Amino acid sequence: MAAPASIAVVVPRHADGVTAGGAETLLRQLALRCAGRGLRVRLLTTCATSHFTWANERAPGVVRDGPLEVEYFPVDDRDAGVFLEHQQALSRGADLTREQEEAWLANSVHSRALYDHLRAADYDRVLAGPYLFGLTVGAARVRPDRTVLVPCLHDEPFAYVSPIREMFGAVRGCLFNSEPERDLAARIGGLPEARGRVVGMGIEPFDADPAAFAARRGLDAPYVLYSGRREAGKGVPMLAEYVRVFRERTGRDVRLVMTGSGPVDPHPFVLDAGMLPEAEKREAMAGARVFCHPSRLESLGIVLLESFMAGTPALVNEGSEVLQWQCRRSGAGFGFRHYPDFEAMLDRLLADEPLRARMGAQGRRFVQTEYSWAAIDARLFQALETL
Amino acid sequence: MSEPLFQIGADGVDAAAIEAEIRSSVDSRITAGAFADARIGRAERLTLVNLRRDGAFITHYLRSLRDAVEVDISDFEIRERRAGLAPLLVRLKKAIWGLLRFYTYRLWSQQNQVNSMLAAGLEGIDEQYAAKIRRLEERLAELERRGGGTQGG
Repeated sequence: MAAPASIAVVVPRHADGVTAGGAETLLRQLALRCAGRGLRVRLLTTCATSHFTWANERAPGVVRDGPLEVEYFPVDDRDAGVFLEHQQALSRGADLTREQEEAWLANSVHSRALYDHLRAADYDRVLAGPYLFGLTVGAARVRPDRTVLVPCLHDEPFAYVSPIREMFGAVRGCLFNSEPERDLAARIGGLPEARGRVVGMGIEPFDADPAAFAARRGLDAPYVLYSGRREAGKGVPMLAEYVRVFRERTGRDVRLVMTGSGPVDPHPFVLDAGMLPEAEKREAMAGARVFCHPSRLESLGIVLLESFMAGTPALVNEGSEVLQWQCRRSGAGFGFRHYPDFEAMLDRLLADEPLRARMGAQGRRFVQTEYSWAAIDARLFQALETL
Repeated sequence: MSEPLFQIGADGVDAAAIEAEIRSSVDSRITAGAFADARIGRAERLTLVNLRRDGAFITHYLRSLRDAVEVDISDFEIRERRAGLAPLLVRLKKAIWGLLRFYTYRLWSQQNQVNSMLAAGLEGIDEQYAAKIRRLEERLAELERRGGGTQGG
């Protein structure tokens, strides 16, 4: 099968700043790799910058972003009240009727102008994602035979909504971040294995001084690190509680450093470092005794892979098949089922420095091999040629 | 021959084996009561998902809940760290505590009754469902045995 010559990448927001989500960053990176390969690539997105308001804050039209052409389209009017009503019902685990599911989807973010562009243009492939936005479903409905989803799928109620499941059945194929994500799509959407490829995202290699962050912040005790959005859905309050109980039960003075955005419960042992420049975040990762990822809903685990690159082993929530998969393949992390596991595993990694160092080294080698851009390019372009 | 897409496992430390060894040790310690700790019960309230997925953990969680359920309303020693005015401040605090004790005892003893009833209710539900599942498993095994016997005969 011939490689596609022209590709549209459809994404709800353009990840040219720090505010976009991981999926939007991933799609932009894939677009950049395709453009770097000499393919004609245009990133089609909305004029919105906030995923809360979806207000049209950018001007419509085409701008150049390095090797990429980016075209902004206005977001259609929507009834946010109807959307939120059904969104909250879904979050609570309620069953919606087909009409309610369609109303939820219709009042998600859409752009008729973007769909009209897709109908008029003749792209060989349309890469679209993440799965739960109306824009992705709408784009997939325009040219399903040419659409390759980049779903960033999680096992959550939205994934079971009928129009989403039908989308998996209708599109040409999917690019997944991990094997567990591919298996989940097969379970939920009935996607045959032949129409899915595991690609992922490249992690830039780096070296960071493990002493720099602690010295700068005046940290005189070992610390566990969490990086990312600080919210209940990511398991962050649970992690703070675990560390508090760990300190009380073991008497070890271990701190919890959190980087990223969102509120943090005030505890004397927590250092809220907030959003950090990339270089400082890497130093924080390199200096951590353990990186902890307590989230259950991940499709790749970018910060986990970055911490591996920094040479730091991890403790992950066993409830996340993806994070557990990364730890299994790398030999650089343990999965905890509950607090007792967390206590025993953290205690072991704090007490056994040779083990910690060897696991950290394994993680770094793993990311250098499996998540180099060369490895990602090989998987990406093979997928585009064969799907 | 092409290389596999992903290399499963890694040279050097067998982290999966160490993880299994730690988990096995943790399971034994849970059974021995090493984690029957009210603080753990409170920490785990944020991860109720475990209750749905892990039958063994429900037992552990209920044990933690039993330890956490009683609000401590016992009398306690009143101290004062500020040396200069310590005797005066201790007398003042004792006087305040003496006035409040009647009301707080009444409130907390009622709270303890409610907590105990809730914990007992949860344990009762857990025991009932465990017994029901056990009976269903026994019945299923019996039906499978009979089915197997018919096929074999």
